[in-house]
Amino acid sequence: MTNAMEIYKFLPKTNCKECGKATCMAFAVSLLSRELTVGDCPPLKEDDFKANYEKLSGMLTPVKGAAETGMIVHEDKCFGCGNCVVACPVNVADDPHGTGIGRAPTSDKVILRVEDGIVRTSNVHECRRFGMDKILCNGCIVTCPTEAIEFV
Amino acid sequence: MEFGKFLAAPEYKVTIVTYRDIFQSAVMEGSRFSEEYLKLSAVIRMDAGDIKKLGVKEGDTAVVRNDSGKVIVRVGSSGYDASHQGIAYMPNSPWSNVLLSADTGGSGVPRYKGIEAVVSSAKGESVTGVDGFLENTMKH
Amino acid sequence: MVTLLNENYHVCTGCALLCDDIEVVTGSGRITEVKTACRKGVARMKGCSEPMSPTVDGQEVDIDNAIGAAAGILSNARSPLVFGLGNSTNMAQKKAIELAKRIGAVIDDTSSFCQGPTLEAIFNENIRSTTLDDVRNKADVIVYWGADASNSHPRHFSKYSYFPRGQERQRGWEEDRIMITIDIRRSHTAKISGDKFYQIPLQADAEFIDALIDALSGKVPKVSFGFDIKRILELANILKKARFGTIFVGLGLVYSIDNMDPVVKLMDKLNEMSNFHLIPMVGHYNMRGFNQNLFNETGYLNRVKFEKGDSTDVQHGAEFSIVETLNNKAADAALVIGSDPLSSLPRVIAEHLLNIPVITIDPCETFTSRKAKVTIPSALSGVECGGSAIRMDGVEVKFEPIIETNRPPDEEILTRIMEAL
Repeated sequence: MTNAMEIYKFLPKTNCKECGKATCMAFAVSLLSRELTVGDCPPLKEDDFKANYEKLSGMLTPVKGAAETGMIVHEDKCFGCGNCVVACPVNVADDPHGTGIGRAPTSDKVILRVEDGIVRTSNVHECRRFGMDKILCNGCIVTCPTEAIEFV
Repeated sequence: MEFGKFLAAPEYKVTIVTYRDIFQSAVMEGSRFSEEYLKLSAVIRMDAGDIKKLGVKEGDTAVVRNDSGKVIVRVGSSGYDASHQGIAYMPNSPWSNVLLSADTGGSGVPRYKGIEAVVSSAKGESVTGVDGFLENTMKH
Repeated sequence: MVTLLNENYHVCTGCALLCDDIEVVTGSGRITEVKTACRKGVARMKGCSEPMSPTVDGQEVDIDNAIGAAAGILSNARSPLVFGLGNSTNMAQKKAIELAKRIGAVIDDTSSFCQGPTLEAIFNENIRSTTLDDVRNKADVIVYWGADASNSHPRHFSKYSYFPRGQERQRGWEEDRIMITIDIRRSHTAKISGDKFYQIPLQADAEFIDALIDALSGKVPKVSFGFDIKRILELANILKKARFGTIFVGLGLVYSIDNMDPVVKLMDKLNEMSNFHLIPMVGHYNMRGFNQNLFNETGYLNRVKFEKGDSTDVQHGAEFSIVETLNNKAADAALVIGSDPLSSLPRVIAEHLLNIPVITIDPCETFTSRKAKVTIPSALSGVECGGSAIRMDGVEVKFEPIIETNRPPDEEILTRIMEAL
């Protein structure tokens, strides 16, 4: 997985603040969490940085099949047991009387649900691995008996 | 040097434990006569070292037999890190049931999790098909 | 009795967990989409690709003729066998018991070579059990012993035992519950237990139980196989401190012991110092229902022989198990309901079914039906017909049909066979 330092290497390192962030390093973190995109840095769009722009775009393109958060569900491995659905802290918080107590989802806000025997994702921007305050939550990974969920 | 090199078809004694596999169970709900059910049922999962001793590779066919009967199934690796030499696993299915003894000591409970059998390479012979089970006897 | 929480919910009859929160989408007389059920449940609810037709001697007939032929076979049989019923509703099971009485049949089900001993100990109150709802609300220590629920009952952990919040378990699984797996192999279930997986050798369960009882009694445990004694002491300590413990027993344990004595001893010891319960991991959705219904009627949960014309004459014993009945060639006709003995029994034993007239009642073709003299298609319960069933923990669950069919339910077929006798 790409880290913020690797992204930073390809930035102009001028701390021009044109992207709205105080430093290029802060911009790198925003790119990593998908809060901003490469196009949000005006200097990068200039000819001098063309190669860097393309490099960064490549680094930040999600792996095929991965959600915005980098989450991949290997459908062929999934039993549909729902362990991840019930263990997911976002599901518990948003749907305490449905998935929180082991039952079918009763809220549209849940991130994970099981349909046709396979786990499906929705509202992935709510995932704790995404956004400003992201953390390396692994609730859906460690509860899976078959390693059907991974983050890239 | 492996003893397999001196024998035409090395035989290996195993104790077979049957188990349940959800993919196989799910396919069974759809059809017991499908290719997919055969593929997920007709398999013996062995310790990697045991497969080597047999002189076969994963995916090859093997004859599994004892006094009760004989089936040809595919060899697979169990995938367990811990060695389990001499113990093999088969999904609960008509294929594993061919190997079960009629003798239950009068208990009425067959030994589904402790079948003594001998495994050897089937030398390319194909897996026992569904039609075999619809014949009047499978005793060989 | 379970009442459905939402009028859109249906019950999945894929296994004895009887999940009661399933939503479906239907189209052209079939279920096209299933929500929240596991992979196996979805396959059950969507139905099979080889529905059975009414036949006699391999020729397609109308259902009335098939029922007539079945009645003819059963009337002429001197020692008929009635087997299956794990996939039938309570009502159908009661009808089958009534029919077995009428014709003087041996009646048995898969519990005979499955969870029979565990259920017998619970019915006779030798072992304390509990409900899955109490497990969800209270259990802090759960043990899967010789059971791979991931593959047999995939939603067991997420709906009841480990992951959900409950009344007295509000803080989530990492803090509030400990899950232990004892097995001979690192199954998918064992993986979920992480470092609380205790791997024992094949057939070593009784010895491990003894060692555990010693450890619970403050003695130094001993086992003949290589096992870190500290880990046995650690396990005993967790069990001792449980406020609400439950052991889920799988076939790995049942098949490894000669009788339930070691388990009863362990449960007694645990209940001297903590609070333990046991639930059998029943497979077929209403196997426990059959056992309960037969027990209520006869005092035995399986392996029963009725005497024709004398409803008070009930014999019971291993010789009336399906395995020994077929092994001794003691049946001269068989009525198989919702089961496939030609595929699930030892082949050498099941082969006797090829020498006697067999009637199968089932929604789908099976190995047994393809060799049967008479086949009678029935409605798929939980999908095409309603009724009630007993969950693995003894709780009754009611369900309504989801889609329409012209195939009659088991109980109607059995009633009509009885009328035609």
